[in-house]
Amino acid sequence: MAADRLLKYWLIAPAFLVIAATLLYPLVAALWYSVHDWNIAQQATLGPFVGLENYTRVFADDPDFWHSIRVTLVFTAFSVVLTLVLAMALALLLTGGDPMRVYVRTLLVIPFAMSPALLGISWRFLLNPEFGAFSAVIGFVFPWLKGVPLLADPTLAMIALIASDVWHWTPYFMLMFIGALAALPQETVEAAQVDGAGKLRVFYEIMLPQLRPVLAIAVLLKAIFSLKVLDQVVTLTAGGPGTATETLAHFVFQTAFRWYDLGYAAAVAYLLAAVMAVLAGIYSRYVMERHP
Amino acid sequence: MSESTRRMIGKWARGIAIALVVLVFFGPILWIMATAFKEPRDVYALKVFFTPTLQNIYASFDTPFFVGERTWNSIVVTMGTLVLSLPIATAAAYAFSRFRFPGGSVWSLGVLATQFIPPVIVIIPLFVAFRHANLLDTKLALVIANMSFVVPYAIWMIKGFIDSIPLDMEEAAQIDGASRLRAIWDVVVPMALPGIATAAIFCFVVSWNEFFYALVLSRQDATTLQVGLMSARTERGDAWEIMAAMGLIIILPMLVLSRFVQKYFAKGLISGSVR
Repeated sequence: MAADRLLKYWLIAPAFLVIAATLLYPLVAALWYSVHDWNIAQQATLGPFVGLENYTRVFADDPDFWHSIRVTLVFTAFSVVLTLVLAMALALLLTGGDPMRVYVRTLLVIPFAMSPALLGISWRFLLNPEFGAFSAVIGFVFPWLKGVPLLADPTLAMIALIASDVWHWTPYFMLMFIGALAALPQETVEAAQVDGAGKLRVFYEIMLPQLRPVLAIAVLLKAIFSLKVLDQVVTLTAGGPGTATETLAHFVFQTAFRWYDLGYAAAVAYLLAAVMAVLAGIYSRYVMERHP
Repeated sequence: MSESTRRMIGKWARGIAIALVVLVFFGPILWIMATAFKEPRDVYALKVFFTPTLQNIYASFDTPFFVGERTWNSIVVTMGTLVLSLPIATAAAYAFSRFRFPGGSVWSLGVLATQFIPPVIVIIPLFVAFRHANLLDTKLALVIANMSFVVPYAIWMIKGFIDSIPLDMEEAAQIDGASRLRAIWDVVVPMALPGIATAAIFCFVVSWNEFFYALVLSRQDATTLQVGLMSARTERGDAWEIMAAMGLIIILPMLVLSRFVQKYFAKGLISGSVR
């Protein structure tokens, strides 16, 4: 039995090493960098200790940071709501076991399995004012937008970024909702239908309340994914035009790897991590409740 | 309106809605894939019907795009991540499933919580460390960086499967004289294989699609397909037909796997949250 007691530590040792080296160490190191003034383009080793100066600079004296917070919040709010509403609508449309729907569901997984980087650059191509397929369709539906470079307009670029994200995530949450719909007890739905309730009423009054726990988790998960959105920002808009789509993660990326201001970037990244930690805490409490 | 006409309209409306959904979600991907086979002038003329050509695919393998090398880098990094992560994760998953650790479930929940750490915070010290170790622009650096998110996730997923394997079978093997490790290898691993396969598909998809770490950590030699996409934006303008050719290679494994991805990947991402 003594051997067993050691065995368990041997079994987790490699995983622990990986996590310690690739996650715990970076977290501690980033915290350490964040209290230093360190531009890696100017000096290869850690710069002078400055205490909380980077953090006070973030709050007191960096309009770009506050701007990126606003951008991130707008992006998150719209992408969460639109993704989940659309995903629920598609789930209701595509739930069921007939071969056609199963096949369509399989097809719809592909936008989700597509890499965000490719998704961003593809949308950039599709939105090209001269030969983009999306632009052609948009120009047809809204003639005044014909030939307009959509990604050069701050508002339209933001809409494009949100739309691409909704397109990417909707299939995933659709699958999640289809799973949840299948798990609903059929009797209550049927009883309501027998009572003559319309489809909309059945959905709002019978199904939706039972789906609340799943919806809560979906909102949290999508919010977490949205808050750290980065890959398709890099490839679709690169934060532009100007800084119109400069999300917080992209702001950190620019600060660290374009301006090489690692100390300041680490401080901003820590603020993002703090928001995520709160959400992750709520999320794990949910998971714990369901899997004690 | 009679009941039957109403039902007819409903059926048609549903059919049209489903067709529209397929068009919106799959159309753009088809368009990109078709673009890979178009001559440049057909790309810029927005042609729907065209004579297919392999010229872009050939061009993409040439200077300055090097799709051959980048595909190879992507394959090596993805497979390296899989080969290293799965055994490590399986061992840890078994330990978390079968043994009690001081602190209880804090540890396995902590493993899950790592998924919420934003990549931008992790990459800063990793970049510094790899620079120090002269590992920038190597495939090894990318594999290590990928393991940071693959290993915790694979642990969490595989643990769920091992939890559902009854203890008696491995106990029986141990009574027959096999050591615990032997019992794990002979009894538990084969039974957990569906879970390990699920984790493998998840790891494959996320490693293959990984962009940001590769963008920061590679320059030229270790550049993967995902980062290579950026090279389609040349000084002479964007070479969209080349981008489409790269995109095709990126999507192909997903098309092959889509059936499994639907079955396992979506379930995997939410395992533990919804059941």
